[in-house]
Amino acid sequence: MSEPLIQLQGVSRIYDLGRVQVAALQEVDLTVEPGEFLAIVGPSGSGKSTLMNIVGCLDRPTAGTYTLAGTPVAELNDDGLARLRSRTIGFVFQSYNLLPRTSALENVATPLLYQGLSRKDRLARARAALERLGLGDRVDHVPTELSGGQQQRVAIARALVTEPALLLADEPTGNLDSASGADVMTILRELNAAGRTIVMITHDSDVASSARRQVHVRDGRLVA
Amino acid sequence: MRATELVRLALSRLGSSRLRAALTMLGVIIGVASVVSLVAVGQGATSGITKQLQGLGTNLLTVNPGRATTGFTRGAAGSVTTLTVQDAEAIGGLTGVAAVEPETSTSQLVVAGSQNTTTTIVGTTGGYTTVRNFSLWQGATLNGVAVDAALREAVLGATTADDLGLSASAIGTTIKIGSVPFQVVGILQAKGSTGPLSQDDQILVPYTTVEDHFVPGDTVRSIGISVASADQIDLVKAEITTLLESRHGIPVGGTDDFTIADQSQLLSTVGSVSALLTVLLAGIASISLLVGGIGIMNIMLVSVRERTREIGIRKAIGARGRDILAQFLVEALVLSLLGGLVGIVLGVALSALIGALAGWGFVFNPITPLIAVLFSLAVGIVFGVWPARQAARLDPIVALRYE
Ligand SMILES: Nc1ncnc2c1ncn2[C@@H]1O[C@H](COP(=O)(O)OP(=O)(O)OP(=O)(O)O)[C@@H](O)[C@H]1O
Ligand SMILES: [Mg+2]
Repeated sequence: MSEPLIQLQGVSRIYDLGRVQVAALQEVDLTVEPGEFLAIVGPSGSGKSTLMNIVGCLDRPTAGTYTLAGTPVAELNDDGLARLRSRTIGFVFQSYNLLPRTSALENVATPLLYQGLSRKDRLARARAALERLGLGDRVDHVPTELSGGQQQRVAIARALVTEPALLLADEPTGNLDSASGADVMTILRELNAAGRTIVMITHDSDVASSARRQVHVRDGRLVA
Repeated sequence: MRATELVRLALSRLGSSRLRAALTMLGVIIGVASVVSLVAVGQGATSGITKQLQGLGTNLLTVNPGRATTGFTRGAAGSVTTLTVQDAEAIGGLTGVAAVEPETSTSQLVVAGSQNTTTTIVGTTGGYTTVRNFSLWQGATLNGVAVDAALREAVLGATTADDLGLSASAIGTTIKIGSVPFQVVGILQAKGSTGPLSQDDQILVPYTTVEDHFVPGDTVRSIGISVASADQIDLVKAEITTLLESRHGIPVGGTDDFTIADQSQLLSTVGSVSALLTVLLAGIASISLLVGGIGIMNIMLVSVRERTREIGIRKAIGARGRDILAQFLVEALVLSLLGGLVGIVLGVALSALIGALAGWGFVFNPITPLIAVLFSLAVGIVFGVWPARQAARLDPIVALRYE
């Protein structure tokens, strides 16, 4: 078997608020192999987003080790983290997080800007990614001209345009009605079927059942 | 990230809030325009004044009567009338003196046909035109015979001739100066300078004639001397001082009853004063540039605050701190540079306009816009760096959560 894509060992994240310390994550061990589709499920406040931030290299554990695609994250500085994010991870957020007043095409092309690609290549790849998600006729629309489901598909196109090893989705259907939510889940399943590793966070067990594996979070701990 | 990408980002961002960008730039525009135009005004005024002074005569010395001192009371300059025509004649014999002319003056009503004007009548000799650097437009200047015989001959300044409606054909005709008939023998070429330094509104007549008809006595208001060459100016000054002190019986160490004004000295004084003025104007103008810079900083800080979420998104999708820093810095630079360029165009147009109105023409110094551009670039960097650093330092998680 190949080396795991994600390996968390004894990872804790403790917020130090001065007088009190909030343990958002405690002693988490988690391994994700390439090609998996994992759902992290848990009630509100259980530490799902905290876990996702750490897995997504936006935050660092206060204890334990995290290895992403063979790279020990603790050894990286902020620029190193940014580079690892840019190369390895595509993010999909609950609230889409598209750049405002920026066309779908430019939104999708932006991650490639930070990889140093030429404008021509960026736009070509962004257009292809949007077409794959059925938005070929919406490339020039700005976020306010798109429906929620369309915005989330733009966000997925943006996450995929760099061909990342890992797609990280935090409540990707949280803001969508059931029909567009189901569309998004279909897209994620197809992507996983095509070999993409997906880690998805949700509090909705219906949505979670689409994934091939589920882990549950309670009060900052993983429960089987 | 490449510079072209950064500029493209900045332009599209500024394009999406044009009014705000324009208002922010306005500060820099006004600052740069005022620096460029005020410096041009300073330089134009300097060269204008210098030209006027040079027009007064080259290597010119003027001897003026000094102050009377009675007891402890010091009178006004010119309050003694000790300079005489004979002093002028004596000065004419000194070495290094190319020409000399005494000047008496009176103000009279002048009538030519149906036209009249009141102007200064200068009683002098033919040396006047040489010393004061005039050329004749028509006719001849006063000659020795006219002076010796106190002939009623007049040479008209260009403006005076104009005022009286006299042109080339007027040579030989008669005008009345204070009811005394004079024959017009010449008209001077205009010097073109206007204002209080104008020398085109006057009539030259023999000083002997002034003595006969208007002001009796042989005292003069001043003596003009043209020195043969510039390096003899100090020598001639010393000669004149010694000569006049002995003629006026002033003991060694006593207070002279005359003063000698030196054209070149005046020139350099005026030059340094107006250079100082230019620096002062530029200084005042750069204050408005500074204010413009603060405006940029202000708007950039607001912008960082407003776009916190955007910064978080960009960081999540791969931007490093320095990418964000560069993005915001370039935005500030584009603002200040665009403002600077518009300001230069405006400033150059303004200085051309002012130059045309003031009559010293358009003095374009390419150094000024260059400095203004560099200055506005510096303003962009200085006032853009801090907001940009604020943006670059944002924690992506905090930024993403920001509403
Ligand atoms: N910056 C922070 N400072 C202090 N405590 C924090 C911070 N961020 C999160 N927490 C705490 O950590 C715990 C886990 O928060 P987290 O956001 O991971 O929950 P979640 O599972 O994502 O919840 P939800 O489903 O509502 O998004 C919470 O108790 C929260 O109060
Ligand atoms: Mg959450």
